[in-house]
Amino acid sequence: MTVLLWILAVLAVPTLIFALWMAGVFLKEFFKSGDGGSEAAEKLGLLPAERQNTDLAAPLPAGWEAALSAARGGDWKPAAALLEYIGRDWERRSYATSLLGDIAAEEDAWLLAWEAARPDDPDAALIRARSTVDLAWNLRGAALAKHTTREQAEGFHRALARSREEIARAAALNPYDPTPFITEIWVALGLGYPHSEMDKLWAEITARAPYHYEAHYSALQYWCAKWRGSKELATAFAERAAATAPLGSLLTAFPLIAHFEHDESSDSTADRTPEMVARVDAGLADAATADPAHPRLPELRHLLAYYLALQDRDEAAIEQFKLVDGYVDALPWTYQGDGPDVAAYYCRIRNASAEAAAAQAQPS
Amino acid sequence: MGPTLRALRALVLLAGFQLLSLVLLAVLLAADWAAVVWAPASITLKVWIVSAVLAIPVVRGMFMLRTPKDEGQPGVRLSESGEPRLWALVRGLADASGTRGPDEIVLTGDVNAAVSERARLLGLLPGPRRLYLGLPLLTGLSEAQLKAVIAHEYGHFTGGDTRLAALVVRGRVQITRTIAHFHEKADSKVAKERARQEKSAAKRLAKGKSAKEINTAGAGVTYRMMAAVYTAYGKLALRATLSTARAQEYAADVTAARIAGRDATAAALRDIPALSAAHEFYLESYATLGLPARTLPPRGEFFGGFARMLTARELELAGMRTDLPTEPSSPYDSHPPMAERVRRIEAFSDDARAHEDKGSALALLTDPGTSATALEQAVLTDEVLAFAHAADWQDLLDKAMAARLAGLDTPLHRALALYTKAPATLWSLLQVIDDGQVWQLAKRLPLSDEAASATGRAFREFVRPLLMKSLETMVLAELSARGLLRWEFSWAEAATVHLPGSDVDGGTGADGAGTDAAHRFTAAVAAALADHPDTAPLRALTPPAPHETDTLR
Repeated sequence: MTVLLWILAVLAVPTLIFALWMAGVFLKEFFKSGDGGSEAAEKLGLLPAERQNTDLAAPLPAGWEAALSAARGGDWKPAAALLEYIGRDWERRSYATSLLGDIAAEEDAWLLAWEAARPDDPDAALIRARSTVDLAWNLRGAALAKHTTREQAEGFHRALARSREEIARAAALNPYDPTPFITEIWVALGLGYPHSEMDKLWAEITARAPYHYEAHYSALQYWCAKWRGSKELATAFAERAAATAPLGSLLTAFPLIAHFEHDESSDSTADRTPEMVARVDAGLADAATADPAHPRLPELRHLLAYYLALQDRDEAAIEQFKLVDGYVDALPWTYQGDGPDVAAYYCRIRNASAEAAAAQAQPS
Repeated sequence: MGPTLRALRALVLLAGFQLLSLVLLAVLLAADWAAVVWAPASITLKVWIVSAVLAIPVVRGMFMLRTPKDEGQPGVRLSESGEPRLWALVRGLADASGTRGPDEIVLTGDVNAAVSERARLLGLLPGPRRLYLGLPLLTGLSEAQLKAVIAHEYGHFTGGDTRLAALVVRGRVQITRTIAHFHEKADSKVAKERARQEKSAAKRLAKGKSAKEINTAGAGVTYRMMAAVYTAYGKLALRATLSTARAQEYAADVTAARIAGRDATAAALRDIPALSAAHEFYLESYATLGLPARTLPPRGEFFGGFARMLTARELELAGMRTDLPTEPSSPYDSHPPMAERVRRIEAFSDDARAHEDKGSALALLTDPGTSATALEQAVLTDEVLAFAHAADWQDLLDKAMAARLAGLDTPLHRALALYTKAPATLWSLLQVIDDGQVWQLAKRLPLSDEAASATGRAFREFVRPLLMKSLETMVLAELSARGLLRWEFSWAEAATVHLPGSDVDGGTGADGAGTDAAHRFTAAVAAALADHPDTAPLRALTPPAPHETDTLR
């Protein structure tokens, strides 16, 4: 009996040593691959996931934050001054409207005060319309239609129906402004306007602002298969916009978004076709020509960074990542879930690119 | 397997239902005998005790298996001297289908026609027959259609393809009744509770007259065990005999088409589901409308009003006739899906009898009005019969709505009473609104998860529809209490309310003044629940009661 135990012990020692060695190698390999990317990213001055802002796609223009927090605090005057200052810069006007509309959809006491003080203010009317549309989408929640309760669906439709009057009022008070019509695209999406109505709405918008980024973004959502169109309609819409727009208008983003919205493959083969490479190149040229202060430029850069990374053009990808790092509330990351998930996904793709770029830079 | 063999197998199964207890007892006895022969004495004793305990429920089960008596449905017996035409028609149909006529005709209060037979010897021998005819059915069908319905019922006794099939159908009825009887007893507690809750439901009240003594012997566990065994076997037997039974139904339809004509038979099959639904609706919305106010429709109108509603809603009914159920109502239902039955009948060649006997079947009765009054006395419970009769339907509606509004108890009432620790009145609610506390009050309403977790505008948007509806009814209740509301009765559509101010120019409801008042009313309610609430328009619509004036102004 004792002899048998001794033989077993002698046999066990080398087995144990071998197992420990294997575990060590495995752990080393595991941590190396995990750490390598974030180290490389850190070396480039890029921020870790927990320091990424998940509410915005880029820093706000100077002075905006004050107006927004005043509105949150119940004071409408800075917001009114901001919209007055922006004037007919339709890109900035629609951007500011979406931010203020969000706040008023949560709580609208400040907006009611604004409306009471200046009854026919077109800016207040615009925020009113936008906030009701946002409220409708808040009521609906982000779930798929089949997971939306009847109460939610009814609230959604009620608020959207009400918003149509408010949109018409805002448009009447400021006939040159495309923003009320851009807002209406989200009503068209929710209530399911027929394509003929959507085309009429689109004519109103392009007559006022032919190459408007947010207008194209919203309309592309309408034409997507998940809403009221199809992959073909969405792609055709995006290609036409990109082809006809002057360089620097950023509309080259939309063929990329149309592809992204309808891409159901699990690998990156579909993202590396010559067609996709050409789309990314067009986007790079567009971004290089654009006004550096264009409020939507970072959104195009996020898309470019993503597809450059998938196409293994890592140095170019890192260049874009560097320009937008710190703010990640943009496509494609936002479809990955809420705040922390978005930042984590962004950092995963970015770090992989950073590591690959570092490996290329120092040939072994 | 031919139809005869199938029917034979079915009969064996049905007989087995009756033999089940004997078989169970035999198994227990066999176990005892085996113990005596093979086991040591100590074990024998135990086996005996166990088998005795097991035998008790079996023996009890055998006694409970006795055919429940056909208590008969409540109704009015129609004598041959009183209703000669109906009797002649029924007799003629019996002759034509080659079976014996009924010994009794009973007028009932439902949309149904049935021939029942107090079968003897475990459902194997025929007995006295009774024909049940629902007055609402007579109201809705033409004479030719009624013939088709009765001929179909007779068809069950004439045997279609094989004599045995008729036996199968009879046996199935017996099993179904026995199982129902088991359940009735085992579930008596549940049924009692339900009866209490449905106190105002007309059907319960109508059934109340024949309410059986509740036999508490059936409440025990052993009883339930036996019930489970018999139910399981009964279901098996029903399932196995289903194809025979369905073939029987088709055969009965063929008999009906032969005797009453193809078109009348198809039309009757189409009409019956529509009539059932319409009658259900009639009971709910018209006949029993006044029960909470302890008021009955005018004498004879509890059943008499159905004809008027059918006439007024002819178009709706036409739509219901075309959508037929394509699924059987239960897996054990002997009736094939209605759509399939109608399809088979309508596939027959045209017999050119589409224009026979188009008059209402109600005309077969000597005096339909008297029969309706008599039926009322026969099927309504004494409690309901003690209620007062309204002068006319308009009077019934007025009383019913006044009572309903006076006894209002909505979630908003309860939340308001909790919040203010005072009786929930319109005035206390308006005070809460004026104090800007209505959204705090709203948090005390029963809310969905989404609404409860929402904040700010989204929360208000979620609860506003509920608040609007509750506030509207509260205002209506207040107006009703002051006698300021007028209701308009209609056979064709839902009752409409006329608000004060809608009658300024003479009182026709459909003019501009009526819609104007409705708009003012809706706008006033909306204003009271707006983000900047204003209760003034609502207060203007509902002048405060005299004793309230001091506290409010």
